[in-house]
Amino acid sequence: MPETQHEVFPKDPRKTYGLMELVKGTSPMVDKGPEDTVTSWPRLLILEVLLMLGTTVLLLVWSYLMNAPLRELANPDVTENPAKAPWYFLNLQELLLHMHPALAGVIIPTVMVILLMAIPYIDRDRRDIGVWFASKKGKTLAMWAGVYAFVLVVALVLFDEFVRVRSLVSNPWWMPGVVVPVGIILVLSVLLYLIIRRWRPNTREVLVGFFTAFVVTYIVLILFGTLFRGLGMRLIWPWNMPPGGLSF
Amino acid sequence: MNRLSALLRNLRNSRVWTSIFRSGYPDNDEKRSLVMVNSLFLHLHPVKVKKNTLRATYTFGLGIIAFFLFLVLVVTGAWLMFFYVPSVERAYTDIQALETAVTFGMLMRNMHRWAAHLMVLTVFLHLCRVFFTGGYKHPREFNWVLGVVLWVVTLLLSFTGYLLPWDQLSYWAITVGTNMIGSAPFIGDPVRLLLLGAKEVGEEALIRFYTLHIIILPLVMTILISVHFWRVRKDGGLSSPEEGAAAVEREGSKNA
Repeated sequence: MPETQHEVFPKDPRKTYGLMELVKGTSPMVDKGPEDTVTSWPRLLILEVLLMLGTTVLLLVWSYLMNAPLRELANPDVTENPAKAPWYFLNLQELLLHMHPALAGVIIPTVMVILLMAIPYIDRDRRDIGVWFASKKGKTLAMWAGVYAFVLVVALVLFDEFVRVRSLVSNPWWMPGVVVPVGIILVLSVLLYLIIRRWRPNTREVLVGFFTAFVVTYIVLILFGTLFRGLGMRLIWPWNMPPGGLSF
Repeated sequence: MNRLSALLRNLRNSRVWTSIFRSGYPDNDEKRSLVMVNSLFLHLHPVKVKKNTLRATYTFGLGIIAFFLFLVLVVTGAWLMFFYVPSVERAYTDIQALETAVTFGMLMRNMHRWAAHLMVLTVFLHLCRVFFTGGYKHPREFNWVLGVVLWVVTLLLSFTGYLLPWDQLSYWAITVGTNMIGSAPFIGDPVRLLLLGAKEVGEEALIRFYTLHIIILPLVMTILISVHFWRVRKDGGLSSPEEGAAAVEREGSKNA
């Protein structure tokens, strides 16, 4: 080593070892040593007990403040208006208003469940395990996919309520019932994919976009069915909800 | 005070106590391991967990909360069964009596109802959490599939319980719901008939929903939860960013 160059790590003549070099990357021992784990007793168990206590307190307070609903005795001759499914199925019931019942009640949910199950077999890249939204790009993408789904679902529901697809095409029955809704879903999915592609995402990030769009659609449709559907399942404001219009 | 602590010490050294609690209070790492391994309930947990998986903002505890809600539902549900007969003549009046004449009846019914709603919500949020943190990836693919099935079973459990009070809300909700099933091509009508046991929602439907709700679906749920937990352990605990980092090292950087 030339004399003029500054010695960063001077050798100590008393030592038989010395720091040779700093390199990037991790040594084989990083994250495998005992310092990265803690004993489940008490660290994990305390958290579990706290969660259980918290849940119990929440349930007790909620149950103290609010009673479970009980209406009049079931009467097959008097139809409830609106007659609503439990709130977690109101997204399907909302679809029912816009397409053929087989599509809304059975085919779309079945396809969605199968698609959800297929996710790990489509995205097999393990490099972003444990990272929320996969990456910064994934986060941006999720946000825009959410906005996209929100705006379009709201627009479609309003369109079908006030303009009505059936007033534009009514014959044959499968045009408004099957072809139009399936066509819209497919076109909007392809469009979402084309928009997402601008970010040059990997498979996981594409899935993040689509999953977010699914979750937003799922929730928005539940909210429509729960809060914005009144007599005859017509759109109304929540504050005009007829008594008994809430399904929980 | 001294006599009390002596008494407690004697109790903890007694044959009965040591026959139940084998390893003593876990105040060192060896005993902290033994306490987990020696207990049926605790041995579902590993002796040690990754620090990263304990972060509140990683899991939000949603899986544990969902499981705990299931336990609450089993306990309150079994209690409700003492006061409920699933027949068209008695179901509704039994619920009325439960609310007015049974000690803590209203409270228990409320807890069962709200815990059910909360569980539907929590399970869905748990599913979202696992998706957004990439927890479904190898080797956890099949546990994700089981998770999706557990979500569907949760919905079915809630749906079958919905009919039992036999009021207008439950009657018409189940009518709407089963009509949707009935609209499926080819299999819709037979499945609807199988569920309702008749053309309309009535006594047959009530007893079928009751049986599904109190024994068949909880049994399915319990088995699936067991497999779900077992696989969490077998797949190396909860997913964590360390696995991602290790994969980056093996397979190259993320942007490659």
